[in-house]
Amino acid sequence: MSTTETSAPWVGRSIPRKEDLRLLRGRGQYLADLALPGMLHLVFARSAQAHARLQAVDGARARAMRGVVAVVTGEDIRREIQPLPIKVVQPNLTAKYPTFWPLAVGKVCFHGEPIAAVVATDKYVAEDAARAITARYDPLPVVTDVEAALQPSAPRLNEDWDDNVMFSVDFGEDVSALMAQADVVVRGRFRAHRVGVTPLETRGVLAQWAEPDGMTVWITNQRPHVERLALADVLGIPAQQMRVIAPRDQGGAFGTKAPFYREEILVCYLARKLGRPVRWVETREEHLMAVSQERDQIHDLELAARRDGRILAMRDRVLGDVGDAKEGVYWGYLMPFIGAALLPNGYDLPKLDVKLRCVVTNKSALSPARAFGSFPSRFAMDRAVDMLARRLGLETADVIRINLIKDLPHTTATGVYYDSGDYRRVLDTLLEKVDLPAFRREQDSARRQGRYVGIGFGTGTAFSGVASEVLVPVENQPGYGAATVRIDPRGKVFLAEGDAPHGQGHETVFAQVAADEFGIHPDDVVLSYGDTTTTPFGSGTIGARGASYTVSAVVEACRHLKAKMARILAHDLKLAGAGPEDFDFAGGEIVYRRDPTKRRGFAAHADRIVMGPLDLPAGDSGGLEHTAFFEAAKPMYGFSAHAAIVEVNPESGEFKVLRYVTMEDVGRAINPRMVESQVQGGVIQGLSNTIYEQFVYDAEGQQQSTSFLTYRMASAADVPTVEVYHADTPCPLTPLGTRGLGEGVPGPVPAALTNAVVDALTPFGFEFTTLPLRPERIWAALHGKAAGGAAEAPKVV
Amino acid sequence: MSKPVSITINGQIFEEDVPLRLLLVDFIRDVAGLTGTHVACTWEGRCGACTVLLNGEAVKSCMLLAVQADGENVTTVEGLAADGQLHALQEAFRDRNAIQCGFCTSGVLMTAVDLLAENPEPTDGEIRRGLVGNLCRCTGYVHIAEAVAAAARAMRAAPRP
Repeated sequence: MSTTETSAPWVGRSIPRKEDLRLLRGRGQYLADLALPGMLHLVFARSAQAHARLQAVDGARARAMRGVVAVVTGEDIRREIQPLPIKVVQPNLTAKYPTFWPLAVGKVCFHGEPIAAVVATDKYVAEDAARAITARYDPLPVVTDVEAALQPSAPRLNEDWDDNVMFSVDFGEDVSALMAQADVVVRGRFRAHRVGVTPLETRGVLAQWAEPDGMTVWITNQRPHVERLALADVLGIPAQQMRVIAPRDQGGAFGTKAPFYREEILVCYLARKLGRPVRWVETREEHLMAVSQERDQIHDLELAARRDGRILAMRDRVLGDVGDAKEGVYWGYLMPFIGAALLPNGYDLPKLDVKLRCVVTNKSALSPARAFGSFPSRFAMDRAVDMLARRLGLETADVIRINLIKDLPHTTATGVYYDSGDYRRVLDTLLEKVDLPAFRREQDSARRQGRYVGIGFGTGTAFSGVASEVLVPVENQPGYGAATVRIDPRGKVFLAEGDAPHGQGHETVFAQVAADEFGIHPDDVVLSYGDTTTTPFGSGTIGARGASYTVSAVVEACRHLKAKMARILAHDLKLAGAGPEDFDFAGGEIVYRRDPTKRRGFAAHADRIVMGPLDLPAGDSGGLEHTAFFEAAKPMYGFSAHAAIVEVNPESGEFKVLRYVTMEDVGRAINPRMVESQVQGGVIQGLSNTIYEQFVYDAEGQQQSTSFLTYRMASAADVPTVEVYHADTPCPLTPLGTRGLGEGVPGPVPAALTNAVVDALTPFGFEFTTLPLRPERIWAALHGKAAGGAAEAPKVV
Repeated sequence: MSKPVSITINGQIFEEDVPLRLLLVDFIRDVAGLTGTHVACTWEGRCGACTVLLNGEAVKSCMLLAVQADGENVTTVEGLAADGQLHALQEAFRDRNAIQCGFCTSGVLMTAVDLLAENPEPTDGEIRRGLVGNLCRCTGYVHIAEAVAAAARAMRAAPRP
């Protein structure tokens, strides 16, 4: 398909991506592709121990090596760099915030914590030198288990704290009376393992200091404007001397590149100190040890319900293992916090009692991963609903249905506002696609042949952008979407956003939108992003903001300029009383609707306003550029429902996904094929998390999953083709009716898959509540050996 | 310790003195300046992002030293389009939206070139098994597998000279 073959409207069409023309030719510009003359290479030395006093770090041997320019340790930098926490990357929530520098000072708290850095003229030499650094450790007791970390006798990570609890929050009220009176109560301990969405491109930083301009730094990053403020603050550099650029191409992020990390601070510090450009490109081993670890929650969850399946109350005691929590913006605990707040999911749960405790351990800080904190909580909730249905002898889909929120908007008992949509229609449309009655008949006949097939459901509400009323208190940042639109005298359109996409395809979808607004071709629109000097302030490419907030800012900025162009055209053509609504922008022209003979070419009119600003209407000036800041009236969420159909071999515990079907509500899709791609990828990430991937620490806190051989991601041969369907309802709060989608897609996957396996093994009375969902663990649970099936038997009151 | 090597990449000869331990992927990226070949697993041979053709056969360029490619012919993703025309695989990847972040794409394309040379009419299962050495985190693989199948059809219909 070529973009030249067809014409407007562009929104709603699956045109090929603009980005692909460079990426297919190997012409992307990723961080590791950037180099500067005289550039030095930085390599970190990292802690070999999980918890120890750091007696000494000796860089003498490294310093003596040919080509080594500098070696620094925590003691060298602690007086020159402001430690975290600092306000710009600290939530407006009460928690204990550990103090830390980019390199360990005094003690180490996880295996892989940076303890020193080497800078050399050659990257091979820098690596040799980093290996020559030695440290003397005085080992401390290690705690890697979240419940052990809660014991009064547990080793404390932060000696100035009374315990290891970093953050606690309660939602709701006491529900004991409802629990006592209910027809049925089910309870279970639901556990999601430590797993995340490591992107294919690791992190990296290239920093250059030049007087008097200051620092220019390229960082693999989702939120360059926030990085800029944070770096200026910790390094004591006036903000006007700090410029952050997220590279044009980034090899995925999925949340991993959203925090403010230690490493970028040190690279910038050394670039200034040494007066030479310094680059650090993270190895995969470093990446898997230091970042991209998420989930890791335990839910002791109970549901009280009537005999018809209607849930009366939910109680959950949640433990989040947040690792050492030393990470700007998220501090490990924001993910479990949001996960707990989103526990009601799409369900109408009038009464709940949720208590979350987030606990530090000798593991890497929890860092965000797509589905942000709610992967474990959705697993717990949708598994519990499935257990409830089984207990009552009802169809799980029916129990989901009678509990789904009927009337929107809706505010959950945890205080989350859901704006719009039709959750039941999403579920019902999914049920039609899987034809549940027909499936049950097939399941019966399969069982008679000794084959065990099952169906499972997972549902989810997910961010469609994050409103200021959520983001200011939670992350101390604004939620508005920001975009600049500039029209040049040739009628070409330049867009700029302050966020930093990393594979989403903003260049294509934003161009589709602007092309429709101005009645031009997407090829005539270009998008720039990621550079704090040339883009408006934005809080980053996070929480499915692109198609919700940022694209809406593009539309508002376009419409502001269209009104100006219409005013000036009415003036030029002496169309008394004509308003902006009287002009169509189509086919490269601006046409007066009441008399289509009165028209002017879009480019000619842009030239007239930008280059010939004479005889303008009173109050107007020349030029065509506008920046819009879009804030929806209320927070926005999307809803989706997934179904998995599996066949399980009870002899071995092996299972095969026969079908995976999704039903999404994206409002209005801008580029349907790109939406489908987001869903395909998100589901497979969720599936890979559920089945294949796991970060493993031994009892000494030594990381055991530090390569792609030991941290196993699903390959092409491991995964099914997802059937992606839609039950869209336009979002009333965005100008195009669009919703953001992407962020939440993995969320419903673990429950859908696990519920399907449980359904298949119903004749065996099988239960499973602890991820990962793997054949050997299914086999063990089926044969009474506990793994994965540690839940209490459902209890009927 | 260094050694002179002569490596032909995309038809251009590079004659350099290189350290014995220099990886072929670093020769391609840092010496030849061809940055379309990527590194994602950092020299474990697992991710496949550094896949290139060595004398027409797909290899992971992080698993070879530059000196092992002395006198050999290397094709990288930059050499895939001919006379400004995208390769059938590149066209199919674009049409089928087989790319999100693009970081794995170069390696996947080079693996697929070799795959289709060996098996011009692969089934979906053969394509998926053929791509197990290339990890993709964004797409869930389905559009990639579809694109390889579409390219195979296009190449059978209009073989390149």
